[in-house]
Formats: sequence, structure tokens, C-alpha cells
Amino acid sequence: MIKRVAIVGIGTTGFRPVTPDVSFRELIFEAARKAYTDAGMEPSEIDGFITTAEDFMEGYSIADEYCPDQIGAVLKPTQTIPGDFIQGMATGYMMIMTGAYRTIAIEAHSKASNMKNISELMGFAQDPVYNRPLRETPHAVAGLEMTRYLFESAASSEQCAQVVVKNKMNAMRNPYAAFGAEITEGDVLASEPVSLPLHRLDIAPHADGAVVAVLADEDTANTLCETPIWIEGIGWSTDTPTLEMRDWGEAAYARLSAEMAYRMAGIENPAALIDFAEICDEYSYKELQHMEALKLCMPGEAAYMLESGATSYQGELPINISGGARGVGHLFEASGAHKILELVEQLRGHAGARQIPDVNVGLAQVWRGVPTATGAVAILSNM
Amino acid sequence: MAITEKITDTTVPTFWEGAIPVRYVYTFGLAGEKFFRTVKDKGTFLATYCDECDISFVPPKVYCDRCFKELDSYIDVGTLGYVETFTLSFRNMDGSEKEIPKILAMVRIGDTDGGLIHYLEGFEIDEIAIGMPVKAVLKPKSQRKGSIEDIIGFGPVR
Repeated sequence: MIKRVAIVGIGTTGFRPVTPDVSFRELIFEAARKAYTDAGMEPSEIDGFITTAEDFMEGYSIADEYCPDQIGAVLKPTQTIPGDFIQGMATGYMMIMTGAYRTIAIEAHSKASNMKNISELMGFAQDPVYNRPLRETPHAVAGLEMTRYLFESAASSEQCAQVVVKNKMNAMRNPYAAFGAEITEGDVLASEPVSLPLHRLDIAPHADGAVVAVLADEDTANTLCETPIWIEGIGWSTDTPTLEMRDWGEAAYARLSAEMAYRMAGIENPAALIDFAEICDEYSYKELQHMEALKLCMPGEAAYMLESGATSYQGELPINISGGARGVGHLFEASGAHKILELVEQLRGHAGARQIPDVNVGLAQVWRGVPTATGAVAILSNM
Repeated sequence: MAITEKITDTTVPTFWEGAIPVRYVYTFGLAGEKFFRTVKDKGTFLATYCDECDISFVPPKVYCDRCFKELDSYIDVGTLGYVETFTLSFRNMDGSEKEIPKILAMVRIGDTDGGLIHYLEGFEIDEIAIGMPVKAVLKPKSQRKGSIEDIIGFGPVR
């Protein structure tokens, strides 16, 4: 019987606003090569492969056919999950738990700079009959949600701007991050309005990059490496796609995916047990809304916790020490991957200038972006 | 072996620019057909109701997304609603700037659990508040075609 599953290798290209020198497949190849070197394995020794992609974002019909070569998966069991890296990791976890696979490689990437009409591609996700005919910016869905969240939580636009300030500053210590900067709350509020209360700087810009990780069962993990990073809990959830039927204040998908992951990890009091978290801040307010949904604080307390400094890199619960999506860049299916990468680096003690001392348990949470209400949570530990 | 040769000259990288023309017909389905036909002919909104869950769906669905029961009774829920949330939108779907920013709102219809996302017309942004009552403004009957575009937006309740 398989007891636990661990991450035994991880590799990345890092994240940049543009990558005109390489194709998306070469980008993935670099991350895969590094992951296999990190795991001390060749892909021929890996039992199965999972990639994550959405056809429209890739510019292919049946984009999964273009995945095997660059991860060493030609003529091996391979499949694509049209979801986030963390959802792919959940599939890999389950495959190993069946006992049929000892090792699985998971891949995610973003080549956003290849997408010429990125705003429309995101807009095509809206309901074609009820919503899309209005030809609204996809950010308007987030603008609607932000207004409602601020109303219910009593948080302010100024406090949301502080999330951006914190995360872009954190990104200054992350060599992988594309958008580190020292900015002020005033800079965020003075940036162009996109869909008020959202300003341009409240929204994570896109970045390119790839991440590959190798999972292994407990026995294999203990043979392969000194510090396997264990998957203690994993959960995912999707609310209705009908915007009109949603609860606009609460991120129910995040609450339910966290509850699933906490149950699996045996965590009753997440705020006390979790040492640090990488959570979705694709829009500034989302970090606060997600903190509450993940029960890292009480409803309505996230903004207060932020202002107290508790979520800063020296605080008691550092959030988005990597810089988050606001500092690293929005990475489509690789959004969860950069969070898992940060957890692995921190839990191995390899995070350099941004290393948090004495960390054992980290949480990664991701959201699939507007107009979705899909999210996933993973809890990793080094013990 | 990693990639050993890299491009170091920014004038070198080239690309092929492609496009995928994608065209679809999005069928309304049974519930959508009833909804838009009623907007066109009677100028009012329909909901379906699940008596197991006490939830009413606008736009209507033929199934309850909570208990998975089939729903086949439609109720006229009128054209009054209230603002659940709103935003002042400055951009179009293609990312271009709007000439004039527009107020987009999620309007709960009547006492249903659903509603419609549409523009607020005839208000200044400072006048809008969550919970404010509004009424749908439809195109004249002769111009309605049976789509979301039959609705101009939501305006003040007089």
C-alpha cells in the first residue's frame, strides 16, 4: 500500500515578460531537463507524464498532441489536463496512489507573449449567449466581484493596493520573478482605471515560463533524495459557470478546495499550522478574499492582517513571499506551478535571500481566472 | 544536456504569424429559447424554480445545479431587480478603450437567486449603490430579435 507521495525534483525556466528566442516547446524542454537533473533521473525512468494546457491559449486544436517530445514522453503514458498545474498534480498523486506508477512528471507553462489577442482569448471564456454579446473586457467580471467583496468585507481599494505594494516588493528578492518593483499605494490608485474599482496595477500582467516537477511514491522518494517534499493534502472545486447564479462576495471554490485539502492533511486549525502560503493574487483583492476563504483569518479580517504586517515576508504568516502573480506574472496553467515551486524551494531551504527560517508546512492555492470559479489547493511539508 | 546553443542577438528571432478563425452557432437550448422568446414577445423575464432546494434560476435552466432535479415549471419574475454589484468599465473585450466608460452591473431579478449582467443606463456612477432597485429597459417590441441585445440595460424605477 502506497503511504505518501512526494515531489522529488523540480525545474523551471524562471518567468519573463517575453521570450522571443525560444518556442514554447523549447521553454518546456529547459524546465523538464532541469527537473530530471534535480530528481537524478532520466525521463526513460519515469512511468507517466501529465501536461496542463487549454487549446485556445496554446493556439492549437488538440494542443495535447504537441506535448510529449519536449518532456521525454514520446511513446509513454501521457495525458493533458485542461486545468491548472495543481489539478495536474492531483491527477499524478492519484495515479501513484493506485500503485500502478512509481513516478509521474507534471508540466505547466505559459507562452502568453505569443498570444496576439490575449484580451479576446480571455473574453471567449464568457457565456456566449448571455454575457459575451456585451463585448466587455474580461476584467469587468473581476471589477464586479471586487466591488462586492469590498462591500461585504469592508476592505478598501487602498488596502488592495497594499497587496500589490507588498507582492511587487517581495518579487524583488525572487530571481525568477518578472515584475519586482518598489512602488507605492498611490502608484496603484493613480494607474489607469480598467474596470473600477480595478486599476491597471491591481491586475497581474502576463509572463512566460515553464515548470516541471517529478512525483514519486514514498519508497522511491526516500531512495532518490534527502529532502522529499511531501504532498500532505490536495483539493479542488468548481462553482457554477453561470455568473448570474453566483455568490459574488465569497470565493466558495477556494473554501471548498481548502476544506478538501485540510481534511486529507488532518489539519483542523490552518492558521496555526501553516507556516507560509502562496495564494492567488491575480487581482489585488483576490489575495484578501482567498485568505478568508482558506480560513487563514476570519471573514473580514484579511485587510487588517495585511496592514498589521502579519503577511509580510517577516510576518507570522508570510503570504506570496515569491511575489505572487502580481510580482512573478500571471502564468495561465502554470500559475499553480510557480506557487508549488516556491513551496519546494522554501521547504528545502533553497530560497536564498527570501528564505523564511524554520518552515515545515506550506500552502499553495490557485484560481483559474475570470470568468471561472475553479480553484485548487495543495499542502506540502518537509517532514 | 540542456539547450546548449542560445540566441544572443535580439534581431535574430523570427516567427510565423497565424490566425485561427473560429465560428460557432451557440444554440439557446430549451430554457434559453423560452427565456428569449418571452423577452421578445412579452417583454418580461422567466425563471425556473426548484421546490426541493427553494432556488429560482435566472437565466432559467432545465436542471437544478444543486440537487440535479429536472425543472420544467417556468415563472414570470418581471423586470424589476436590484444591484448586486457593479463596475465602471473602461475597456472593450479586445482590450481597446471605450469612448465613454460604461456602468456594468449584476442585477438580481425580483426575489430570485439569479439575475442578469447588463449596463445601468440613466445614472451617474456616484448614484449607484449595492441594493438599489432598478428596472429593465427593453428595445421597442418591433426591434426585438430574441437575444440579450433586446435589453438596453437597467434604469431607474419610477
